[in-house]
Amino acid sequence: MPAKRKEQKETPKVGLHESVISYKDAVRWTDSRTVTIYGNINGKRVPSRILEEFIQESVRDGARNLHIHADGQHGIGGRLYPQGEPIRITIEGPVGQRCGSMGMFGTEIVIKGGVSDDVGWLNCGAKITVLGDATNGAWNAAAQGILYVQGSGGARCDTMTKHNPRFDPPQSWYLRDVGDSFAEFKAGGIAVICGVNPRNPRSVLGYRPCVGMVGGVIYFRGRIDGYSERDVKLLEITEQDWNWLCENLKPYLTAIERIELYDELTKSPNEWHKLVPYTPQERRQRRWFKVSMDEFRKNYWEKEVGKGGIFAEYVDHEPTIIPYIVTGEYRRYKPIWANEKYAPPCAYSCPTHIPTHKRTALIRLGKVKEAIEMVLEYSPLPATVCGMICPNLCMQACTRGIIDMPISVKEFGKASLELPAPKKPKTTGHKVAIIGAGPAGMSAAWQLSLKGHDVTIFEATDKIGGKIELCIPEHRLNKEILHREIERFKEVVTDIRLNTKVTKELFEQLLKEYEFIIIAVGAHKPRKVPFPGSEHTVSAYEFMRDINRGKTYDLQGKRVVIIGAGNVGMDTGVEAFLCGAASVTAVDIQKPAAYGAELQYAKQKGVEIIWPKITEKYVPEEKKIYFTDGTNLDADFVIMAIGDMPDLDFIPHQIHTEKGWLVINEFFQTSHPKVFAIGDVTGLGLVTHAIGHGRLLAEYLHGELMHAPITRDLRPRIPYEKIKIDYYERCRAVTSLEQEAERCLSCGSCRDCHMCEMTCFWGAISRVEKPDGRFEYVVDDNKCIACGFCVGICPCGVWEMVENI
Amino acid sequence: MEPATGLKLDYNHKLTIKEFPYIVRWREDRCKRCGQCTAVCPNGAIKPAVKYMRVIESGGDTPKPRPVRRIIHVIEQVDNMENYCTGCAMCALVCPNNAIEPEYNPQNKFLFYKNRGGEGYKRGGRRNDPGVSTLDRIKFTRISMLTDPALDAGRHEFRVRSYIGRILPPEELPLKVEDGRLVVDKSSGKFIPPVREIFPIMIGSMSIGALSPHMWEGLAMGVAYLNEVEGIPVVMCSGEGGFPPRLLKSRYVKYFILQIASGYFGWDSIIHTLPYMTEDPAAIEIKYGQGAKPGDGGLLMAPKVIKLIAEIRGVPKFVDLPSPPTHQTKYSIEEAVMKMIQSMSMAFGFRVPVYPKISGTRTAKAVLNNLARNPYAAALCIDGEDGGTGAAYNVSLDKMGHPIASNIRECYLDLVKQGKQNELPLIAAGGIGKKGNLAANTAALIMLGASAVAIGKYIMQATADCLGDEYNRCNMCNTGKCPRGIATQDPKLYRRLDPDKVAERVVEVFKAADVELRKIFAPMGRSTELPIGMSDGLSIDDKEMAERLEISYAC
Repeated sequence: MPAKRKEQKETPKVGLHESVISYKDAVRWTDSRTVTIYGNINGKRVPSRILEEFIQESVRDGARNLHIHADGQHGIGGRLYPQGEPIRITIEGPVGQRCGSMGMFGTEIVIKGGVSDDVGWLNCGAKITVLGDATNGAWNAAAQGILYVQGSGGARCDTMTKHNPRFDPPQSWYLRDVGDSFAEFKAGGIAVICGVNPRNPRSVLGYRPCVGMVGGVIYFRGRIDGYSERDVKLLEITEQDWNWLCENLKPYLTAIERIELYDELTKSPNEWHKLVPYTPQERRQRRWFKVSMDEFRKNYWEKEVGKGGIFAEYVDHEPTIIPYIVTGEYRRYKPIWANEKYAPPCAYSCPTHIPTHKRTALIRLGKVKEAIEMVLEYSPLPATVCGMICPNLCMQACTRGIIDMPISVKEFGKASLELPAPKKPKTTGHKVAIIGAGPAGMSAAWQLSLKGHDVTIFEATDKIGGKIELCIPEHRLNKEILHREIERFKEVVTDIRLNTKVTKELFEQLLKEYEFIIIAVGAHKPRKVPFPGSEHTVSAYEFMRDINRGKTYDLQGKRVVIIGAGNVGMDTGVEAFLCGAASVTAVDIQKPAAYGAELQYAKQKGVEIIWPKITEKYVPEEKKIYFTDGTNLDADFVIMAIGDMPDLDFIPHQIHTEKGWLVINEFFQTSHPKVFAIGDVTGLGLVTHAIGHGRLLAEYLHGELMHAPITRDLRPRIPYEKIKIDYYERCRAVTSLEQEAERCLSCGSCRDCHMCEMTCFWGAISRVEKPDGRFEYVVDDNKCIACGFCVGICPCGVWEMVENI
Repeated sequence: MEPATGLKLDYNHKLTIKEFPYIVRWREDRCKRCGQCTAVCPNGAIKPAVKYMRVIESGGDTPKPRPVRRIIHVIEQVDNMENYCTGCAMCALVCPNNAIEPEYNPQNKFLFYKNRGGEGYKRGGRRNDPGVSTLDRIKFTRISMLTDPALDAGRHEFRVRSYIGRILPPEELPLKVEDGRLVVDKSSGKFIPPVREIFPIMIGSMSIGALSPHMWEGLAMGVAYLNEVEGIPVVMCSGEGGFPPRLLKSRYVKYFILQIASGYFGWDSIIHTLPYMTEDPAAIEIKYGQGAKPGDGGLLMAPKVIKLIAEIRGVPKFVDLPSPPTHQTKYSIEEAVMKMIQSMSMAFGFRVPVYPKISGTRTAKAVLNNLARNPYAAALCIDGEDGGTGAAYNVSLDKMGHPIASNIRECYLDLVKQGKQNELPLIAAGGIGKKGNLAANTAALIMLGASAVAIGKYIMQATADCLGDEYNRCNMCNTGKCPRGIATQDPKLYRRLDPDKVAERVVEVFKAADVELRKIFAPMGRSTELPIGMSDGLSIDDKEMAERLEISYAC
């Protein structure tokens, strides 16, 4: 009986149990420290709750040796808090689940047979010895303490055990083997499976142990059949392990009454192995791939499909991988220094292709003289045409015009007036006849003569210059300039036969005497529209020619009507005012074609333009001109300015004409292979067109005569957007050719500014000077990544990107 | 009228940058003008340019104006539609200074202009709809904790497997007991259809030609690895572009589904190789339609038909290779399906499952019912509207086709009505993993009734960093200028892509999907067989969708 016990406590009366079990009946004291507790009284099972109360109470009352006859009660032996001395519990009979659960340090439980599930659940220090088998879930969540099992463990033993660093790790010992799913999520603690006479000889750790195990160690002896390779590794035991095992096997075997096995179990460390989890560091470093892809390619893939893989037979490149930013042959594109690939707008638009950009380039190099002289290679009349009468198509196209004003080619033209005649080369002996000494004929003669051919010009009038001389009014051209250039012309072209009208007969003769004949007779037959009274009108051609020859018209106070409002009409109108006309009205059947200087000047003078007006008749008696729309104008004097036609009486029939014009092919060749035609005789154009024809034809004939390759500039115009105009500042005034040259944008032609070289981040561009003094910019393909900066920033639009094939 | 250039500025011929789908943001203060962005830009959308800046400075105590002229070099976005910025962000990728990146422009008017020359806009990718798809709205709401055995995806071992091939009901199987053992009763004369066990996610049909050799081989190697090393029976469909003879003759051909489509490209080569094959392919897919471009055929442009493509497809080099929108010589469902399935079964001695693929359509049930009556039909693959393609008209991609969810559901329920839901597998495709939820979308489709799913776009995005998205980013597969080297035949581009890396990613993607599928199926209490049609586990947050899909509504 307990000594301190003062009064009988009232038995708890809680729960579903119908009858009250008295403490007295269940708890029998042997002495003050020893007690026997019955879990079944007279065939009546004591509920788990009641038994727990009795155990707790007896311990409080001083019991330190408890012998419990269990009847399947839950959780026997746990939660007995330290009393300063050990509490020893022996249990016999059918033990319920979770025996010893939440057991504390100081509790020692010996189960005299097998035990039900979850023995030692959440153990916090109790030492539990099972003298039989432990079933499923043994040692689940144990954190401290020791479990000794004399037999086997069931399934899912040792799961979720852990090690709190404040205490020693929990230990679990199984003599035979354990069931499936052992040590899942084990986070700490030591498990020992001795493998003595295992129930499952194929694996002492059952099926798939250690899933999710992250801590602790499992020592085992005997065979196993796999484990969670993701989580743990299988290792040999170390000397330290072995010493620990040898030392700790003794108390274990003693406790389970099998000390006789000690020698067998410690026979050899080689019989033992251990499973330890990978450390977090190892997990992170662990190769994800069982076989590296490199190995797989070599040892599986290419073994099956052949060397180089499934497409090796169709590709001819290396199997290597190339980066995103590449140089050399791997680039998709590459830059090209395409100097002079395109024609600049000035040269492209000029019918004579005068390369103004080259002249400015020479000036920028200080070679002003060469720059001015250069033009004579292209035209015999630069001061007259470029400088005076040409509408300067080059300037209209000039890129510089976007910024401020076009390059003043007019100034360049005027500057050539004083140039001496170029030297003539040695004669080639080839003879060419040119009919007509107008701008076209002059141009062809000039070019052919400068190439050494013998040229004879046949001119019907007594003057050289054609329409420039005859029809351009003095107000637009100081004839002095023309005459000086004609003088220079005559130094080069010496055989000029004036007053020699070519007749049919002469033409036939020329065909025989000359290798080629160039018809450049222009258009000198005024066109007239035959309406009633048209016989009382004057043609613009006659009017202008007469004035240029010194004849005057007295138009004082007269009202002048000009039929045709083109540039000739405008020139005529201005002349009419100069002759004293009171008013000048130009009419046209369509939108007037007049433009440029002619139009501007005529408007200043007061020429009125009205359209559309189709003339019906002119009645000189009424001094009225009538139009088809029923209107009329007062007209004292009527000039018809609707163009001129060529006079081609002299040509043989086999040379084709169409509507009065000579038919030519792209080489200015007529239907007669020896006969060529240029200038207005092929259709009305500007003087610059006539000069261009002459030059192009001369190039062609020179090739034919000398059996040399014919070079023609067929380059397209450079797209304007290629020129980077942002580099240039607007200029307000220009006073010299040098300044003009600086203004030139050098379209499509490298100005040697080093911008590309400087900009290239990769240092791939360098300037190379050639032995002849010329230069080029070259790309080092092994440095260039084809970024296109050179293309994007080149002031002249020289660089280009092309596909890198 | 000739557009004015240069001399006359005419802004009416220019588009504002706001019309473009992506606007290139460039930061002058960070740029060192190294040109890597312009070098890498696949579409010539950016270029170096010169800009003139003028600043008036004034120093001292009184106004003393001084104009300062600065000419700088910049990176400029090109303003023509041909060279539009596709948003691929290769510039941002290579820029060492984070000085440049494209920014999506939601106000763009791209479609108003991308039809120059009277040609409708063509592109690659999938439907440009960044919204949340039905699949992504489906949730798995039946969680087993105490009501069913609680399963743990990590701890419990279970197989995620499916089947292609017709599975006969037990009573129809020609089996008999002989000496106490179950054996096939050969005397019955009954045909046992071939069946393959597969992982329920397969790599859908992407042809050699559409894909670069590096990409295709990378995928193929990954598939072989999964089978050989990991034991995950993933299969991959060839697409219609022939099949490399080396692979055809290898043991690994058993992991591949050969596709035959209306162009029949490469099939004469395959037929020539038949006697030299050591293994049968996994299956034969007959393509009748494609989810990305229903009723539209394929076209491999002549420049892409390089030696490799020409030889594998069995055609001359540098010719256009059109696949007609429809199979020729087939005039009805009965005829088309019968003829093709018979022919293809016969080619492989009736040992290989043969199934048709159609684009998602309201008429899918009609096809299904026809197949249900055909003893040789091994499955039906339905490719929904969100499927991808290498080249199609934008209108086909964006506006044609049927969403996969309700299409697969109605087909499955139709099979249920006939009691054949376990007989004829349905394969779902089109938009799976559109937002990256590969396993969840797969599980949703399986629980709606699919036996397996096929993925295309997802695998390109996941394994080779395909840049395409539903904001029309990149999507230039059709041009052969794929900056990632996935959809191009230009060695300069496809050699950027390492096939071994692709293969590694394939392995990772499938292993992860395997784990994720378990993470879905295990908590729902399923571990033995795939929960095909287990629609009581699904919910959706839209009542009408719930009603249409015959699943529960949860909010």
